[in-house]
Amino acid sequence: MRSFHPGASKAPMKFRMPTAENFVPIRLDLDIDGQRFKDAFTWNPNDPDSEVNNFAKRTVKDLKLPPTFVTQIAQSIQTQLAEFHSYEGQEMHIKEKIVPLKIDLRVNNTVIRDQFLWDISNLESDPEEFARTFCKDLDIGDPEVGPAIAVSIREQLYEIATQSISSARETRVGKKGRRGADIVANSKAGNTVDLGKLFGSKGSVIRKRKEWYLYEPIVDILSNEEVGALDAREELNARLKRKLDEKEESFQTRYSHG
Amino acid sequence: MPPSSEGSDLADRELYSIPSSASWFRWDDIDDTERRCLPEFFDGSSTSRNPRVYKEYRDFIISKYREDPTKCITFTEIRKSMIGDVGYLHKVFLFLEKWGLINFGVKVPKISVEDAGPKVVVEEGPPADVQVVPACIPQRKLVGMASSVGGENGFKLPPLTSYSDVFGDWLPKRGLVCGICGDQSAAGGYESLQDGVMVCSKCSKNNSQADGRTTEDSNHQVDDDAKAEGSANNVISAWTDAETLLLLEAVLKHGDDWALIAQHVRTKSKLDCIARLIQLPFGEHILGSINGTCANSNLITQATDVKKQSLINEPPQELIKTDLHIQTDEKDLVEEPMAERPLKRRCLPSFVHVADSLIKQVAGFSTVAGAQIATAAADAAIVALCSENISARKHFSINKYGENDLLYTNNDHNSGLKIEDQDMELHKQTVVSEKSLSATAFQVRAAIATALGAVAARAKLLADQEEREIELLMASIIEVQLRKIQCKIKHFEELESMMEHEYTLLQKVKESTLEEWVTVLQQAFQAGIPRWSDDELPKPFTTM
Repeated sequence: MRSFHPGASKAPMKFRMPTAENFVPIRLDLDIDGQRFKDAFTWNPNDPDSEVNNFAKRTVKDLKLPPTFVTQIAQSIQTQLAEFHSYEGQEMHIKEKIVPLKIDLRVNNTVIRDQFLWDISNLESDPEEFARTFCKDLDIGDPEVGPAIAVSIREQLYEIATQSISSARETRVGKKGRRGADIVANSKAGNTVDLGKLFGSKGSVIRKRKEWYLYEPIVDILSNEEVGALDAREELNARLKRKLDEKEESFQTRYSHG
Repeated sequence: MPPSSEGSDLADRELYSIPSSASWFRWDDIDDTERRCLPEFFDGSSTSRNPRVYKEYRDFIISKYREDPTKCITFTEIRKSMIGDVGYLHKVFLFLEKWGLINFGVKVPKISVEDAGPKVVVEEGPPADVQVVPACIPQRKLVGMASSVGGENGFKLPPLTSYSDVFGDWLPKRGLVCGICGDQSAAGGYESLQDGVMVCSKCSKNNSQADGRTTEDSNHQVDDDAKAEGSANNVISAWTDAETLLLLEAVLKHGDDWALIAQHVRTKSKLDCIARLIQLPFGEHILGSINGTCANSNLITQATDVKKQSLINEPPQELIKTDLHIQTDEKDLVEEPMAERPLKRRCLPSFVHVADSLIKQVAGFSTVAGAQIATAAADAAIVALCSENISARKHFSINKYGENDLLYTNNDHNSGLKIEDQDMELHKQTVVSEKSLSATAFQVRAAIATALGAVAARAKLLADQEEREIELLMASIIEVQLRKIQCKIKHFEELESMMEHEYTLLQKVKESTLEEWVTVLQQAFQAGIPRWSDDELPKPFTTM
């Protein structure tokens, strides 16, 4: 059984995604018989389980994947949802923290790098809207970029949310199942904004001009060759990583229950 | 930059358009509208959101937008400059955009995806399709340019005078137009008059009455009346080719005598003729150059026609006076400064505007160089030009008379040309018509030559002055050196005199000492002291 701490600071609440819509980021990364399938999307945890199967079937059919993928996909989704649900009973004490979120992803030919602040106590935040504005302002043509950004944000928020459940902290150390590994490091280091200094009477919320470039989005369009090269490298890394993860997983499952 | 809320002293403030619905906006205050729409900043729910923070965000966003109000500012552009949750920042941004405090009336541009890094928002041309919504008509006192964007759409340039306006009558496509009353579809058909002018049946009746008149000046009045009647009921009658040709002929023949011209054209009144001539290109120029001839033709013919309707109205009595002076060949100093003005006056009305700046330059030069120099330069230029080109000579002599008219003064200030004058009087009528266009070129050349001459004279003066200055300076230098030497000599002389003085003193002392010695010796002798041996003489005396 997991224990939980009584909420110390601001009114503790039940675990949830600190966004307007309590949607979960799901990431799929399967390699079956040499065929790789990667995907990331947002899922409504309140959807019935049957939906998962339907989704898996549809995906396999649309992408013409081998039928073995159906079960794999469904399983992966279920696992992640289960994990999410397992947190739901917990209390998380979200202090008012404004954390920097980072975007560092490549979608097809577009590379996005960005950094911005996010108030994780803002339960009305909307990563999808942010992604929409982002793509509109920067006139990004690829329609897959927006959802990718939204998912990335969600993942980071998810990470932070789960960490605020202190009981989960011990079990989650070292788990690198998610892509936002470096994000974990960041939030752990407490790289949050010093609220008192900035928002008090003496500070200014306007950033110094010389720092503007740090928080400016960078959008790069790669050529097809570059994309190919990056893809190959990523595959290699992923394969190695997966092997490591599998080892870790087995280790953790052995010791986490009890 | 912040617009004054009192609307006062907008001298160095910029004006921005915002809709009247946003008139609650104040730089130094937060309105209830803002509190209402963005409660999270005002309910104290968090330390990162308070009124001060909101105001900073708001002011920064608006200021940043107003750095370039023609460009649509995007959220992504400005969020990097502000510290805070991007969600709330976006809310503030949307709030400001919705109320038109930013991006008001600016079209969202389309930019290419290829731009890497920070996007540059480029507007493609003026926001042509932006319409000012009636409800948003800015009434705010700080808005100086009401719906600046929309206003530009409504701004219309006055139609330029086009070829068709001026030459419309020359277009051959038009149907028959009555020469007098302008009717295009006269019921009674057309009749053609003697000069090939088509007139409708109505007008032809009027005309036949007019034809019967004599060409006496006194009858012109009646003529005019008849024509006035004919045309008074109608719109301005159109000028056909034939009529215009007649007009030009008449102008060249009769010059300024509008009565004669009108009679020559026959179907048009005096005023119509004048108006038509002005309309034509070079019309005024012809007028200008003609004035001289007609003045002289009047003088020659001794006509007493007082009725002059020319634009440059000269009382004929003056002209007669000036005629007398032609023969006297006077060249007063008074004329010379006046002569410069003819250059200006003559040219300004009759030149096409292309040469205006040149004339202004000439005028400028003349004022700088002085009137006398300028007149001399002008004369020299004209003489040179005339000696070069015979036709120019004719032209200038003609124009000289034209100047006289303008100035009411004595005309002849160029004795060089006088030789030609007498002969030219007779020939100028035929010559003028050919020279009217080349006159422009010659006048330009003359102007250029004058300018050059004036400038050259001035330069020469300056050079002379500089030389004199140089000489003066040299002289002063030499003088100073000499003085120096003089002082030195004096000094040495003083030293010499001092030395001599000392020398004489020394000699005196020596003598006196010698005397004393002698005295002492004498006394010693007298006292019986034994004599010294000679070899005991004091040394100094032996060595001296």
